[in-house]
Amino acid sequence: MDNSKVIDAQKRFTTPVEEQQEKMWIERAKQGDQQAFHLLYQQYHRRIYALCWRMLADKDSAEDVCQEVFVQLWQKINNFRGDSKFSTWLHSVATNVVLSHLRKHKNWLQRVFSIEEKQVEESAVSPDVEHSALASELDRNIAKLPERARLVFVLFAVEGYRHEEISKMLGMAVGSSKSQYHRAKTLLREWLSNEGVCDGV
Amino acid sequence: MVSKNENSQSSGLKLSDQALQEQVLELPTEMSPDRDLWSGIEKAISTKSQNNFISERQEQRYKAPMAWAASVVAAVLLSWGIYTPQEASQTSGQVNVNLVAAMQQTFEQQKQSMLVSYGQPKLQTLAPEMQEQLKQLTSAQNTIKKALVAEPNNIDLLNLLRWTQQQELDLLKQLYSPQWQSI
Repeated sequence: MDNSKVIDAQKRFTTPVEEQQEKMWIERAKQGDQQAFHLLYQQYHRRIYALCWRMLADKDSAEDVCQEVFVQLWQKINNFRGDSKFSTWLHSVATNVVLSHLRKHKNWLQRVFSIEEKQVEESAVSPDVEHSALASELDRNIAKLPERARLVFVLFAVEGYRHEEISKMLGMAVGSSKSQYHRAKTLLREWLSNEGVCDGV
Repeated sequence: MVSKNENSQSSGLKLSDQALQEQVLELPTEMSPDRDLWSGIEKAISTKSQNNFISERQEQRYKAPMAWAASVVAAVLLSWGIYTPQEASQTSGQVNVNLVAAMQQTFEQQKQSMLVSYGQPKLQTLAPEMQEQLKQLTSAQNTIKKALVAEPNNIDLLNLLRWTQQQELDLLKQLYSPQWQSI
């Protein structure tokens, strides 16, 4: 399984007219126009929330971090020079904010011993994930993955990052990123099969 | 894109790699949060200037107490300079030197764990005014510690040292704790 289709899907995201409109909002937001910034928020907050929710597997944290992303976006928007698409840049800002949030909220035991807080056998999914009618079967299972496997899977398979980029973001070897991805896939395939989603077998 | 190895692994009842990829591509790109996030963001950005970690309003909030703190430290040190006693008990002096070292160690540990909890931020990226305030607090602490070496029994100096250390911790907390989460 590669992630080239994910990258293609991301490239088809906006039309030229929408891009022009977006450029105008960005320029106005850079001048300190909060209304223009609100339009950017309306355009992107659901995508950013989805990214936060998938990476954090917790509704409340995802909401808080999504807010944090847009506050940081407001502060850093002048750093956006248009070298890449705004959505790509915003996703990288959001990814960094999520990872920074995870680092801050690791307890001292996890920090000292590099222990993952969730073991697969003990993976307890919060009720809002388990019972969310909006979340797909796959999303509910992604939320059950151990943290590192989940982060690698979301960044590679959903967000379209390369393993080299992920390894830098998460401070792990490229090989570890690949093995975590393989671990995530194996678990997901097993869980989804057990739940009877076996159309592709 | 399914490799031979992956195909062989997907034997039995396991979902195939390709089927998983198809499900990934079908994942919704958007999700709606349950609560309104904009009102909190709006409040937070109205107090934050762009490309500056600390807005002018926040700077004002810190400047006043810091200026007051600096003047109190200066006044106490000045009075200490004028009224320095000539004799001090060597035994209690030794005890207080150890006390100062213990206080400093506790303070450094608190500061370090606080910075770690905020993701080890670089203090160099703070606004110059904030860097200056932190520098002044450190300088005041050093001066007080020197004063305590000469006058180890001065309780006021010990209290002043503890107070400046707490000021530094409070300032770091205010600078780095995300305020929009509590909106």
